[in-house]
Formats: sequence, C-alpha cells, structure tokens
Amino acid sequence: MNIQQNMSLTEKLAILTDAAKYDVACTSSGVDRKGDGRHTGNCISAGICHSFAADGRCISLLKILFTNECIFNCAYCQNNCNSDVPRASFTPDEVCTLTMEFYRRNYIEGLFLSSGILISPDYTMDLIYQTLYKLRHEHHFNGYIHVKAIPGADPVLIQRTGFLADRMSINLELPTADGLKKLAPYKSRRTILKPMRLIQNGITENKQELTVYRKAPQFVPAGQSTQMIIGATPENDYQIMRVAETLYRNFDLKRVFYSAFINVNGDANLPALPGGPPLLREHRLYQADWLLRYYDFTVDELLSEDRPDFNIYLDPKCDWALRHLEDFPVEINRAPYRTLLRVPGIGYKSARRIVQARRTATLDFSDLKKIGVVLKRALYFITCSGRMMYRTKLEENYICAGLMSDRTQIPRDIRESGYRQISLFDCGMADQTVLPQSQMIAEELAAN
Amino acid sequence: MYVFVCEDSLEGIFTGVYDACASRLGHRNIRLTTGEPENYELFSEYIPVTPSADKTGKVIRTITSRFGMQFYESIYQAVMSGETHSDKKMDKADAVYETILLALSCGDGQKVLLSLGEPCVYRIFELCRATNHEAHRHLEFLRFSELENGVLFASIHPKDNVLPYIAEHFTDRLPSENFMIYDETHQTVAVHKAYKSYLLADADDLDLDKIKRYSENEQEYRKLWLTFFDHIAIDPRRNPKLQIQMMPRRYWSDMTELIRFA
Repeated sequence: MNIQQNMSLTEKLAILTDAAKYDVACTSSGVDRKGDGRHTGNCISAGICHSFAADGRCISLLKILFTNECIFNCAYCQNNCNSDVPRASFTPDEVCTLTMEFYRRNYIEGLFLSSGILISPDYTMDLIYQTLYKLRHEHHFNGYIHVKAIPGADPVLIQRTGFLADRMSINLELPTADGLKKLAPYKSRRTILKPMRLIQNGITENKQELTVYRKAPQFVPAGQSTQMIIGATPENDYQIMRVAETLYRNFDLKRVFYSAFINVNGDANLPALPGGPPLLREHRLYQADWLLRYYDFTVDELLSEDRPDFNIYLDPKCDWALRHLEDFPVEINRAPYRTLLRVPGIGYKSARRIVQARRTATLDFSDLKKIGVVLKRALYFITCSGRMMYRTKLEENYICAGLMSDRTQIPRDIRESGYRQISLFDCGMADQTVLPQSQMIAEELAAN
Repeated sequence: MYVFVCEDSLEGIFTGVYDACASRLGHRNIRLTTGEPENYELFSEYIPVTPSADKTGKVIRTITSRFGMQFYESIYQAVMSGETHSDKKMDKADAVYETILLALSCGDGQKVLLSLGEPCVYRIFELCRATNHEAHRHLEFLRFSELENGVLFASIHPKDNVLPYIAEHFTDRLPSENFMIYDETHQTVAVHKAYKSYLLADADDLDLDKIKRYSENEQEYRKLWLTFFDHIAIDPRRNPKLQIQMMPRRYWSDMTELIRFA
C-alpha cells in the first residue's frame, strides 16, 4: 500500500475524487428545506445540478471518499486492498472547509461522502459521523448531505448518522448473492440488506414521530438509494429489474442506480468489455426503471423468463406497446390517465396536461403537439375524436419500421457501430439468447 | 387598427393593457406591441404608452383579486421573458393582453391557462416555460467569486430578466453573506447585505475595478474546484455532446470551471 504523508489538499482531492467517481448517485433531490435565516444552506426538492463533467454526468454534490484506504478486496473496485493506487485520507476539518467554501461559491449543492473501510466498518462509520456532526453543528451547514452507510457497521452509528444526513445509501453492488460472493468476498447480502432495513424502519418511525411532534429531528428525509453494477456478472436484465422492483416495493427505496461496469483493475474474474462500458444497456435499464416508478408498469409486463433482455433497438415502452397492440389505439379525449401513460410518446407531464386540457376543449393532433406529445412515436397508437393522424396500419411490422426510422431511438454511436456492439451484449449474458420477434425485425431493418 | 406601443417591462406592458381597455376602441381593433415595431403598417394608428405605476397597480390588483396569485405569476413570468416578438410568433404584450381579456370574459384564470389551444395562452405558456428554464439554469450555473473585502460577486448574462428570482433564492440560501449579482444583459445588480433583504439597483454605479480584485483564498479554491471537476469525469464514458446538451455553451463564459474552454 502506498501511503504518502504530507500531501497537499489539492493532491488529496484529486486522489479521493478519482476514487469516488464510479459511484453513480449524484442527486440532490427529495427534500425541501428553507434557509433558517442565519446559517448557510437550503434544499430544493427538485434538486439542482451545478455542472456537467466531460462524461455528461451531472455534478450536484461534492462527491468524495473520506479515505481510499480499504481492508476489503472487492474485485470490481479500484480501491481494493490489493490494488496499487496512491492512498490518501481527509481529516473531518478538511472535508468541512471544502464543502463550505464550494457551497458558498455555488459550485455544489452539498456533500456526498463515502469511504473505503479503514481499520474496521465501525471505525470508518464513526469518522463519517464525526465529519457530518462537525459540518452540521459547528459550521451550521443546512444544505444537502448524501452519505454511505458502511455495510457491517454498528446500527447505532448508522442511526445517528441518519439524523445528520438527507439521504443515505448502501450499495447492493451486484444483483445476485452469487455474484457478490464471487467478486466481493468480504461483503454479503446480509450485511447489505440489514442496514437497509434498519434505515427503512428508521424512516417509517420518524414519519410517525413527525406527525406528533412537528419539530422532531428528521431521519434521512430524502430517503435511501442504492446502486448495482451492470455487466460485471452474467445476470440478465430480467433478474436485475426484478431485484430493483423488490427493492422499491419491500425496502421503500427512492432510487436504484445502475452503473455500467468499467474494468478498472484488469481482474481475471471480470469481463474485459473491449467495446467500452455497456452504456446502452444501462440506458435501457434506466428507462425501464422510470416505467416502474412513474408509469405504473411492473417488471413482468416488460420482461419474462423467456425474453430476459431488453430490446436494443426500441425503448422498453415502445417494445411493450408493440407486443400489446390489442390495447391500442387509445382515444385521447376519453382514455383514463393511466392508459395515456402507457402510450409511447406520451410522458407523465403531457399525460397530465392532456387530462387538464380536455376538460375545456376537444383535443386534436395540433393541440397534442403543443402539449408536448412526441407525435412521431405516439401517432401509431392514438386517435383524436376517433381519427388517426395518418392512415396507418395497426400491425407490428409496420409500426416497428416506423419507429425505427426515428433516429433518436438509438444512440448514434451504437447505431453506427452496428453489430459489433450488439454481439457484445449477447456474449457473456447468456449462451444463446432467443431474440423476440420485434427485435428480429429490427435487426433485419438495421441490416438493410 | 390601433397599435399600442409598450415599453418592454412589467409597467410598460400592464399600462398598455390598461390603456387599451380604457380606450374603448373595441378589442378587435386593438393590438399591443413590445418596443418600437420594425415596420410600420400604413393603415394603423400607433399610440405610444407611457408607463405608469398607478395603472400597473390597478391591473395587478384586478388580476390577483379575480384570478388568483398563480395566474398573475404566470403572466409575470411571461412578461419577464427576453423574447419579445418574432415573425412567426405572437408578440409578448399582445399575448398578455389577449390572455387577460380571455380570463375576464371566462371568469376563471386557471381554466384559461389550461386551454393551450388558444394561440395567446400557448404563447404565455411558452414564454413562461422559457423564463422558468432560464431562471433554473442560473441557479445551477451561477458562480460566485470572493472579492478582497469578503463580498461574493457573480456576473451573469441571462436572456430573460430573471435576476429577482435568482436573488430571492440566494438570499434564502446564503443569509450570512454579503453578495452581489450583476446582470450584464439588463445592466442591473442585486445587492444583498448579510441578514437583510436584497435590493435591485441600476448597474451604473458599479465599480468595475473593485469586482476584479479577488481575495487571497479565491485562486486556491478555484484551483481545488478545477481539480475536482477534471477528476470526477470517467474517461471511458466521455461524452462532450451530452455535456453541451445539458449545459449549453452560452453559460460557459461565466463559469469558473469552463471559462477555459469557452
């Protein structure tokens, strides 16, 4: 291990930012807190992104590790105890100063603090707790704090930290227990799910407390989140989404994040991924995740054991609609809100606007355009006062061809790289994937 | 046709609305325009509007009491938009005038705002959305620098007049700081003194030398921020197109970490 003494703050920040960047969550949403009129900080429930890095991901929080020294040896992580990277640790005061000075310059919305495991989980959790305590009570920081709970740490420490943070997260890391056992031998499903349940119960209790005592201290008011690494182990999309759905239902998670695997260590147990990280797969998972959270879909509607992976060429909603043509076309002026939500090209905002606007007038296609409906996708599935926009056929091949001509459906690099990328998804995921019908059509089209 | 030529401000447009209604020329014969028109029409009579606080107050009172605060806010946000008129789209003042007329005749402001089929209402919706967007972008991308005397200073170039909204946000967020936000497009400054409310002032008196003298620590924190910004990006995921999509180029010149690429 390469521990350097007397590093400057800039060097430390560089090392500990590099160490933290593979963590996905960087949202500052979920809590509305006005300023108190005396101390620095407030929170806006929609969240604020302050910048966007060269990879296009938002920078909302100061995302750093407290230390990248670690006693664990998780194969996917660049900070594992066997890898040869420069190591550094902040002091609680350094983290506080950085946060306060960045915050007042409007660089960031708050702090995202995670850490490698130094000495023991309890010791590390205590360091994190001390840092947050200083930030909240000495610097009177009133902004957003997202903190990681360390698996295996004492429940009391986690609970106390929860009263200082806005959001807490524990990374599930890999979707299945087998994968976890193989790649992260020091972690187990139990040590991850136990604190998750603890935080969930804490939030529920706190909500009841708050209804009785309005001024009771808040426990993790912005809820908890988690993340899974995609593509390091051979799970299929169906398994991943089932896990996500279970987490939303049984653990009341606010968000599940998916992180396309990047092989930082060159570990022999891990896939090499010569075509770069599986970004399109990650994208499709996020799209499906939104369908679960905002569009009232269930995983079993989107995927099944027989067709366990998402269609590469079509987004999950279009794909679903193509397989359920019996539900279409939908009459815009009469269909209930939940049915409107299921139409490709209609988002939850435009669905709401449609419901509001049709109270006063009969809507036509030009109105829908103004409302924000994406007609090039929606036109196959809707009627306005019994008429369709053009003469179209309600037939899978025809609609699929139409949807495929919409170039925004597939990211450009993947569209152009064609089969190379696609074969990448298939290898390692399953020996022989049976392509669903619409996907076969789509592939034919791409070939022509 | 009678055309009321309004100044591009809340007072200008609301006085225009008041005068147009009071003129009794018949609503169908009246149009409003924001700022001097580029081309004058031969058979129209142009009537200049002198902004009046009194008339503006009356219009605001009518709107808020009859249609509620939310309606007024939408109209206000639309008026604050910097987009006044174009060949294809309806004039801002005219859209405001017609929307208010529509609300007066229907009696329900909320209902009117939802009928996006009406061109004037749709225009208000568009302007409103644009202003909101611009305001939110500035909450995100505005950057303060610490000056020698400890004051936090930021300069911005917004398309729409969003300074009051931004100042409000930062007053709530940084109550213990002395800060100034300089809107270079509209030449106004928001000044906030610690633990007080903010005020808006003309930028004429701004000392342009003083705002370039940074405090000792400023350079150091900028360097730290640049370090963070450069290291947080994941190389295999590099995607400059997405970056620009989320953060358009025109904001870059005011941002500490991006001014080197602007």
